[in-house]
Amino acid sequence: MQKIDTFSANSLKILDKSFEEFENKYIYNLSVYKKDERTVLGQKFHTLICFYIRGFDVKRLVMDLSPDEHIFWQKLEKKLKIIKSNFIKTEYSFLIKDELNNFSYYLTGRFDGIYKDEKGYIIYDWKTLNLPKNPYDDIQSIVYLYSLSKIYKTNRIKMRYLSIEKLDTLDVDFVSSEKYKKKIDKILLKLPWFNISSSNDLEFQELNF
Amino acid sequence: MLINANSNTNRTEILQKKYLELLNSGVEAEKILVIVQNSKKKKEFVDKIKKESKNGFIGSLKIYSFWGFIREYIFENWVIVENSLKDKNTKIIPNLSGLEVSQYIFKKSIEEVDFTGYNSRISLLHQLFRRNSLINLNNLSREEVEKRDKILKQTYSNEANQVINKYKAKTIDLRAFDYIRQINIFEFLYKKIENKFEYVFVDDADEITPCVLAYFEYIKKNVKEFFIGYDEFGSSRLGYLGAINVNFEKFLNVKALKIFNDDIKSMNSLKIFNLIKEDKKIDIENIKSKSFLKRNEMLDCVIKDIKILLNSGVKFSDIAIITPLTDEFLKMELEKTQYKFNFISKSEKLNQNRLIGYLLELLKIIIDTNNRFISPYVLKGILIDILNIEKKEALCFIQEYKTGYELQGLNLFDLMKNNNSEKLRKFVEIYEKVRFEKLSIILFEIVSCFIPFKKELSKDIIKINQLLKQIVDFEDVFKDEFNRLDLIIQLENTIISENPLSDDEIDEDSIIVSSAQKIIDYSYKTKYQFWLDVSSENWLRQDIGPLYNSWVMQKKWNKEIFELEDNIELTKDRTARMLYKLYLLGDNITLYSSAYDYIGAENFSGIDRYFECKNEFEKDENIKIEPIVPRDDQKEVLKYNGGLMSVSATAGSGKTTIMLLLVDKILSGEILKDIEPKNIFVLTFMESAARNFKERIKNKYPNLKELPNISTIHGLALRILKENNNFSKVGLDYDFEILDEIKRANILNEVVYKFLGSTEKVDLYDGAISAYKNELALYGNFDCKNKLFLSIYEAYDVRLKSENLIDYDDLLLLSLKLLKENKDILDYYNDLAKIIIEDEAQDSSNIQQNLILLLGKKYKNIIRCGDINQAITSTFSNSDVEGFKEFIKKSKNVVMDRCQRCATGVLDCANSTVNYAKKEKIEAFGDLIMKPVEGKNIVDFKAVKSLIFEKEKEENDFILREIQSILKNAKKPVSIAILTRSNFAINKWAKIFDENNIKIYKNSESLINNLCYKVILLIMEYIANPYDLKVLREIAKELYDAGFYEFDTLKYVNSLNEPIFLKKDFDEQFWWDINYFLFKNHYSIYDLACEIGEFYFSKTSEKDNIHMVATIAQKIKNSQKTFEDAVIKLREIQFKNNFSNIKFFKNEKKDFKKNTVCVMTLHKSKGDEFDYVFIPELTKDNLCLSIDDCKLKEKSIFIQKVKKNSKNDYELKKEIVEENFRLIYVGITRAIKKLYLSVSNNYKYFSKDKKFENSEIFEGVLCKK
Repeated sequence: MQKIDTFSANSLKILDKSFEEFENKYIYNLSVYKKDERTVLGQKFHTLICFYIRGFDVKRLVMDLSPDEHIFWQKLEKKLKIIKSNFIKTEYSFLIKDELNNFSYYLTGRFDGIYKDEKGYIIYDWKTLNLPKNPYDDIQSIVYLYSLSKIYKTNRIKMRYLSIEKLDTLDVDFVSSEKYKKKIDKILLKLPWFNISSSNDLEFQELNF
Repeated sequence: MLINANSNTNRTEILQKKYLELLNSGVEAEKILVIVQNSKKKKEFVDKIKKESKNGFIGSLKIYSFWGFIREYIFENWVIVENSLKDKNTKIIPNLSGLEVSQYIFKKSIEEVDFTGYNSRISLLHQLFRRNSLINLNNLSREEVEKRDKILKQTYSNEANQVINKYKAKTIDLRAFDYIRQINIFEFLYKKIENKFEYVFVDDADEITPCVLAYFEYIKKNVKEFFIGYDEFGSSRLGYLGAINVNFEKFLNVKALKIFNDDIKSMNSLKIFNLIKEDKKIDIENIKSKSFLKRNEMLDCVIKDIKILLNSGVKFSDIAIITPLTDEFLKMELEKTQYKFNFISKSEKLNQNRLIGYLLELLKIIIDTNNRFISPYVLKGILIDILNIEKKEALCFIQEYKTGYELQGLNLFDLMKNNNSEKLRKFVEIYEKVRFEKLSIILFEIVSCFIPFKKELSKDIIKINQLLKQIVDFEDVFKDEFNRLDLIIQLENTIISENPLSDDEIDEDSIIVSSAQKIIDYSYKTKYQFWLDVSSENWLRQDIGPLYNSWVMQKKWNKEIFELEDNIELTKDRTARMLYKLYLLGDNITLYSSAYDYIGAENFSGIDRYFECKNEFEKDENIKIEPIVPRDDQKEVLKYNGGLMSVSATAGSGKTTIMLLLVDKILSGEILKDIEPKNIFVLTFMESAARNFKERIKNKYPNLKELPNISTIHGLALRILKENNNFSKVGLDYDFEILDEIKRANILNEVVYKFLGSTEKVDLYDGAISAYKNELALYGNFDCKNKLFLSIYEAYDVRLKSENLIDYDDLLLLSLKLLKENKDILDYYNDLAKIIIEDEAQDSSNIQQNLILLLGKKYKNIIRCGDINQAITSTFSNSDVEGFKEFIKKSKNVVMDRCQRCATGVLDCANSTVNYAKKEKIEAFGDLIMKPVEGKNIVDFKAVKSLIFEKEKEENDFILREIQSILKNAKKPVSIAILTRSNFAINKWAKIFDENNIKIYKNSESLINNLCYKVILLIMEYIANPYDLKVLREIAKELYDAGFYEFDTLKYVNSLNEPIFLKKDFDEQFWWDINYFLFKNHYSIYDLACEIGEFYFSKTSEKDNIHMVATIAQKIKNSQKTFEDAVIKLREIQFKNNFSNIKFFKNEKKDFKKNTVCVMTLHKSKGDEFDYVFIPELTKDNLCLSIDDCKLKEKSIFIQKVKKNSKNDYELKKEIVEENFRLIYVGITRAIKKLYLSVSNNYKYFSKDKKFENSEIFEGVLCKK
């Protein structure tokens, strides 16, 4: 079995839910590829927002939207217009190193946008799906806030989910690095190679057979 | 910073260290671009950075393979491209799709350009793809392309450029760019965007292409520092993969840090590089070599060697098998071992995966609206493997479907709906829900519902996802504007690795099987490297086609012409670089080669020529070489010391043996100095003779790594066409094929039918076309009077050209043309052919003789052996005995007139035949009179029996009784032959002996005569008809006859009154065997054929032919709609001699003839010998020896009408009678002890007795006995 040491918010979310599901999806690749309409919509809007924030003229690109999507965009554009100059990064990928039980692990992901003002940093996340119900316990919030705190070495951070269609927002304030790490570590302990009691190679091999 | 070092040094570690230093000094990762060679190396680089970094934020890493980088770059900056376009087809995200999309666009573009008259249309798509790739990888401007087109004199370059331009325009319209097209978009973008990278790292920079270099050149001024790791002896991807050998010191204007470990491996690798460049042989301690005749012998040894290593504790991952030919043959042989292999195949097609194959078939069924009949074989696979229906239930349902469809045209889904099976009904539900949806949705639903997501299926699921991704890509680009069935068919043939972003899965715990290039690209280090097929030309990739040339299209090309020498030198340079890099990655290397490839074709031009290392051959104890002591008349031949020599050797004079001794002497260097096996060319008339000769040389010299060139003259011609991509000079593409008997008949039938409205006269045109081609070659264009023939000939010729086919005549003519018109090619072969030995020279055609003489022009060491008395092919081929007669006159002629084979009476009979011809003034023979060898021939002056019967049955009965008596009274095993005048008569005699339980051997080349072909076909027939008891009984009978089952099996099968798979006869071995094959689903007919073959023949000598039969089955299947149709076709072609030029190995045991009656034609018997020879049915019709009585056949007359200098009827008759004399002479001289010549006055003719005159031989020769 491949010892995975790099995790995205999504993979941690699945691991949190079920080790078996994680194993099937990330170790054995047992999932079927599907490109549904929501995913496509999400990709289009992410790209569009990114170009817009970077200051490009997106008039031509917008022609690729359906009439409904166009309406979303018009509203969104209005909102973005006000804040766009405060974005310091868009589609920004990160790699964070940490450790658990003397084993290194890595958190990876991509911030849709990082906004900065005098109050601190806001991680923007554009959502085409519903906003998280328990945003403070949401793994994405935890991983993103924890990671950004490592990048800018500050606690003045918040995570903001923005619904592309409804334009409603949901803010998650930074709580504590320790709490986040604890949560992440707790999930990772589901993996045998992070769990000291079962992490030596022999036992691990036995687990496989 | 520049580091010039090989892969055995810490070059990469230094680069990684420098990268970390930059990060630690506070440089943001975003500002550092790292370009490595591929995704595996990217992962290794990233892993290292991750490992060595401190906890916390490492950065936003910009570490990529080049293709990954440009993909990301385009996505990131796409808006710039979009804003520069003026059309309405806006896209927020471009389709950075795979090659299947661009293939489709290319196909559409080709349809819009007129390629009339272009020869190699069949692979036009491939050629245009290659052309486009090379132009882009090499970053060639329009002017540079035009210049190269002129150098290459490519007449269709304008059309090619038109297609490429149309393709480019369409990709813009669709916003669909494959990785090659992405280069253009990338170039457009980087010239518009300010470079943001302050530092650039490049590893394996010796492998970069000009398009990458152009980017570095462009950003150079804005980059603070480059860190480049390269190997000055590297660049293994030169040529077809577009690498460029860059002077990096000049590029950066800094001196490179040169790291050279003076360990043995590094020293040896350099030695390899230099020796190849200097044309010297490599002899290095840790490189061993093993050479074989057949490929399966080679593979057996590889497997044996792997076993030894594994048993000694070596791990799977310590071994790498490296071959350019990861074909099905290799895969199956390796997988049989049950060891873990990881095939990194460059040519794996998606539907080679069984599950994918069935899924694609299922998609076809679902989208079909015409209620087409579904192949029961495919349906069985789908029901059992995808829908998980119980096996017997599946077969019963299929039978229901088959009858329902045939009788009432019932629809499959209606039948399923009414079936009791829950699974079938569930499937119908899904079908009804999704049948009109997009393909991706249909596939997704099926996979989600029916494919179990188990770990064991992990690799299959990866492939299913690849398939899904491809379909989605396609749908994204073309929306609904494509035919769903067309897409499925295209997907079936998609080669997985053609998209550089599809990663190779490297399984750490298995033996990797890969091409050399992949091993190099991945720097895959192992303790043991097995280099397979080193005698195959496929090791040396020369990518040259009619519309591209990977050498000339190199950015650095600066010559005005392209010559053979360039091709050779550049190939050598690339080979030196490739083997240098490959060697660095292995500790112990073994080279394996075989003289023949897996379909029995000769290997040539491999990399084995570069090695001198010791051949590790395990001596076969069964092979005992008897020393040969030449007779006095034979000794003359061995006195040869160069120049032209003819050897006139009578039948039974030991010609082959003495030629073997002569080759032996030449090899020892006694005759000519500085001679290597490659300088000796032995040319035989028959393929079997070449193989036999090769085998004897190999047995005599087991340690001889390289054998002399031993082939038929057609084999040599094929080599001339193929070697160094010479075919491109005569307008052929690399995948040209030689027309086999079956395809030729099909094409001729179609063409002749088109003009004459019937196929009755096809045979006439068949011979005439061949004759006409030879005349054209000899005399150039001439005014052929037969205009209808000319029209048919032209139609045939156009058809061949359009399908990239050549016939056997073209093979000789084109190779001759190549030598005549290209001095460089002629020089190459002239330098090589230091000595040429030709066997059966009396049967050579004028063209063949020209070819031989041209080949030996430089050294003029030509030995031609033959017997003009045995020239028996001139009336039906283009052979020309006069040429040999002329050669005898101008060369030193050695006569071998001693025959120690025949009994004295037989010798007399043969000589009497010669004398009779002289008396009758028929110039059939030369002056050679056969003489006995003292003390060797059986003294029996009554050895010849002449018999005339009244009725055919009397003749038959006499021969049968005589043979029964010979077999009964023989004190030791004897050989007996019946030699017939026609192929038709063979079957009659075979039937007589079969009915009387006499073992027969039909020396016929027909496919069905090969036991392996027969058994595989029989089992397939059962699989196609599991309900048919008649078929089953036939199978049982044949398998019993072949010795696979006892008589009880036959009784058991005959007693069955219902399909065998419905029974539960666990005690019957046959029941187990037959049901095993019935229920073992193989999507590929190749795999099925191999499994049947392996089951029945793995321990027999027929094993050699399994993969050949499987290849035939697969080729047939490719041209048929269903498995069932393919099986019918395999039966239809059973009496053909050959399919697709696949040459079965004849695996007769040494004593196969003993106590067996060999039935063959007189023509086929040449070169053979038997204790007892019967030549029956010697009527005047069969053997006319008088010009006055000779009747001309329509074909002979017709052929003359297309010739420039046609013969009149008298001349024709004379020729036929002369050849008849020689034919009977050949027959007579086959006999060792006794010869029976017989005839009957009456024969059955269309079921009635008809009177026939006896041949003149009875009166002219035999009455005197």
